[in-house]
Amino acid sequence: MKAQISTPIRRVDAKDKTSGAARYLADMSFEGMLYAKAVRSERPRAKILRIEVPRLPEGYTYVDASDIPAGGKNKIEMIKDDWPVFADKEVRFVGETLALIVGPDRGMLNRLCREVKVEYQDLEPALTIDEAESLKGGAIHGTDNLYADYNLRKGDPEEAFKKADRIIEDEISTGYQEHIYMEPQGVVARPEADGKLGVYFSGQCPFYVRHAVAGAMGVDEEMVRVQQAVTGGAFGGKEHYPDVISTSLAVAARKVGRPVGYFFDRVEDISYTPKRHPSRTTFRTAVDERGNVLAMDIDVKLNAGAYESCSMVVLQRAIFSVNSVYDIQNVKIRGRAFATNNVPSDAYRGFGAPQGLFAMEVHMSHLARTLGLSDLKYKSRHLIKKGGLTVTNGRIHEEVKLPEMIERIDEMSDYRRKVKEFKKGSWRGVGFSMFNHGSGFTGNGEQEIIRGVVKMRKRSDGLVDLLVSNVEMGQGLQTTFRKIAAMVLDLPVDQVVYNDPNTDLVPDSGPTCASRSIAIVGYLVQEAAKKLKARWGEEGEVLVEHRYAHPPRLHWDQEKLDGDAYPSYGWGINVIEVEVDPLTYEVETKGIWAIHDVGVAIDEKVVEGQVDGGIIQALGYGSLEKLEVKDGRFQQRTMADYTIPTSMDFPRIKSALVDNPYEYGPFGAKGAGELVFDGAAAAFADAVQMAIDRDISRIPVTPEYIMEVYEND
Amino acid sequence: MVEAYRPSSLEEALKIRADKGALPFAGGTDLMVKYRYESGAVPEYPAPVIFLTHLEEIRKIYSQDGELHLGAGTSLAELMSHSEVPELLKEAVRTIAAPGLRNTATLAGNICNASPAADGVCALYALDSRVKLSSPRSSRELAIYEFITGPGKTELREDELLTEIIIPRDRSTTRLFRKVGTRKANALSKLSIAAAARLSGERVDEVRIALGAVAPTVLRSVELEKQIQGLSRAELSERLEHFVQSYEAMVQPIDDQRSTAVYRKKVAVNLLRQFLTSIAA
Repeated sequence: MKAQISTPIRRVDAKDKTSGAARYLADMSFEGMLYAKAVRSERPRAKILRIEVPRLPEGYTYVDASDIPAGGKNKIEMIKDDWPVFADKEVRFVGETLALIVGPDRGMLNRLCREVKVEYQDLEPALTIDEAESLKGGAIHGTDNLYADYNLRKGDPEEAFKKADRIIEDEISTGYQEHIYMEPQGVVARPEADGKLGVYFSGQCPFYVRHAVAGAMGVDEEMVRVQQAVTGGAFGGKEHYPDVISTSLAVAARKVGRPVGYFFDRVEDISYTPKRHPSRTTFRTAVDERGNVLAMDIDVKLNAGAYESCSMVVLQRAIFSVNSVYDIQNVKIRGRAFATNNVPSDAYRGFGAPQGLFAMEVHMSHLARTLGLSDLKYKSRHLIKKGGLTVTNGRIHEEVKLPEMIERIDEMSDYRRKVKEFKKGSWRGVGFSMFNHGSGFTGNGEQEIIRGVVKMRKRSDGLVDLLVSNVEMGQGLQTTFRKIAAMVLDLPVDQVVYNDPNTDLVPDSGPTCASRSIAIVGYLVQEAAKKLKARWGEEGEVLVEHRYAHPPRLHWDQEKLDGDAYPSYGWGINVIEVEVDPLTYEVETKGIWAIHDVGVAIDEKVVEGQVDGGIIQALGYGSLEKLEVKDGRFQQRTMADYTIPTSMDFPRIKSALVDNPYEYGPFGAKGAGELVFDGAAAAFADAVQMAIDRDISRIPVTPEYIMEVYEND
Repeated sequence: MVEAYRPSSLEEALKIRADKGALPFAGGTDLMVKYRYESGAVPEYPAPVIFLTHLEEIRKIYSQDGELHLGAGTSLAELMSHSEVPELLKEAVRTIAAPGLRNTATLAGNICNASPAADGVCALYALDSRVKLSSPRSSRELAIYEFITGPGKTELREDELLTEIIIPRDRSTTRLFRKVGTRKANALSKLSIAAAARLSGERVDEVRIALGAVAPTVLRSVELEKQIQGLSRAELSERLEHFVQSYEAMVQPIDDQRSTAVYRKKVAVNLLRQFLTSIAA
């Protein structure tokens, strides 16, 4: 039986966004606003010897590290604080901010920025994982170029390897991915009448911005007020990078005493803002005489770029996800995030999990191909079950509905029949992938670092204020949060007021990321609503709050990375059918099927939107979105050259949901936003493998790569 | 600011072009990208621009002496819906960008931009097209392959405008247009092929083959075509690999942000072989 809450309602933000009434940051007006433009590094790695600033016309101001107020610091406080607000001694990547020029005319700013002459002493850059590992040009970070180096162990891999009938080696790699959110990055900083510094931004995490700006300016966090503007999309790209823009703009706004805005151009955004971490994963897998996996030795390497930002946590999620939905009894995993002289890699929908999951799923399909076994049967033999041990020696606490989901998607897609009918190498193929995604922050994030708080207020006019710091960014939160509160309170949805957050008005319920908004914060909303309901009869204003408490059955040791890395998991299966053109190696996708367990959908239409968007974004990642680096510069810098899918590239997706209510989720819901991204690239690669009867080992699976694999066999 | 002119006649347009050295601006879909400026900034063009597509004199499509004349001001969408435009050209134009762009872009602009990857131009090579160039004092005609001399380079003189595209009637019986783009729509070409042949009975009377984005300009070999013309289909079948190899030697693509030289060459040759096979016995 479908839960009542799952029945779709019209999205709260639909009308404004489709009619054009929604006011994005660039649509807002700020009296007396000046514009900023960054003077950027032209070199991937160099010492700065001298900067010659042209004589600036009246009304134009140059802002650099020397303008950071006393008490402030030239560091951006993110998870780490190694990224400077303004580079002043060295540059580590092409596009790094050296200074801002501020003034009224944006054409003039472009000209002035070009006239700044920087004298560099070039150093040898390390751009690839291999170059970073061999310390080319000397270490960029520490003595070994490692932002993080983790080791995980489950069972007794050494002993298990001794019993191997056969050891199979494999190497899987994934590329960069650019977010292409609806509107490019944008921030306005304004000195406010009450003495505070106002920051208006398009993004995901208002309190991250407040923290970073307060740190750089050397003021109390309360002296910074951050207001989120309507955000058309973010996908992780606006999780940390708004901190980078906001800190330098705050310095500029204080210096000139006026509002200063910076609205990135698309080419600027593609060229210089963070991307998904490229990865390379190697497997040594021991199998017994029946082909069953006895043990795996896995080495995960990420290209993390010039500053650390959140790479250590991305790496954690990558290695925690690298056994995917499989219960491998004996595993040894090493994970490393390498410093390189590229644009820093950062959050992107999935946060390391897509890299780990892709590697494992493709490796499992390679094992089946190598052993001559059926892909699905082989994978099914290794599925994890309720109570099964994860790679961090935590437990799967929920029922794993994959066996039921396999049957369901087989009915939907006719997968098994097609596998028999399409012969290997027939230029037709059908691919299958399974995956799961932990909802909420990794490890101790929710209980030790974020400790989210939600407040709810019954106003004297009877409306209810929902006070949270999470944002609508296209994923439907304006609708789903209201539904949760309204259903508990038994109110019409439009009586719940949920505005774009302002840090002066809402408590810190944490950032909008990590598939945590519904699974973690949504639960706080539900519990706060229950408290408010209990006090509904009270006169006048009633304010309640609810704080995060970690489910008691979970344990975690952050030092050892041991225990339950996530409170719950979403689960999914994708099937993709393709035809490969034998003349051009172009792939025509003939069908896409998906089934997901997200606990309970808070709104089926919202989840369907996530499924459609997530899968198409993942197919772009898996097949089209080539992003190459040459001399430290991205080669695909326009939307003509960096090709994301259009509606012509893939057929309509047929998707279904299975209910599997989660005890600590609102109405049983778990996270969905990232899960739906996690499987399509592997299913696509698997389908192409069958079509051409060759192993596919990297994404994007471009026609050029298919030709290379086919011809060089 | 951009100095811009909107003449009321072709005569006036030619005078402005000659006097000011103004940039011809038709649909503007290439120029606006070429001289794009970052958001919020006023574009800067290296010369004044002259708007053209409203001029009646260059908006006509008409037939004369068995040849089709396309006015330089007609949009891609307009020519796609015109009954006398050869199918090969329509097929190529249909693969250009998306409907919004085709409503404003012109084939004349596609030619003057002189990209070796221009899909429309590839078809024009295979159709033996010519361009009419007009100046205040005179006009002349050049074959499309004479007009385009390199990437972004043409024979257009500083006082000339491209006013018409002239296409002889296409009497082919077999045609192929195939664009291999970076995706299925709104895509730039990695390579393309436009080919046409006329078969009469068992004989190949005529063949025209153009390959896009595999050389500095669209590639067409009249020499090789002459060798194929007059052969019986069986003879072509026997010598097919010889011709494929001859073309292969001429295909000299590059690596760039959209594809690789190796891929372009391989796929161009595959498509060429497919076409020759389709007309051979």
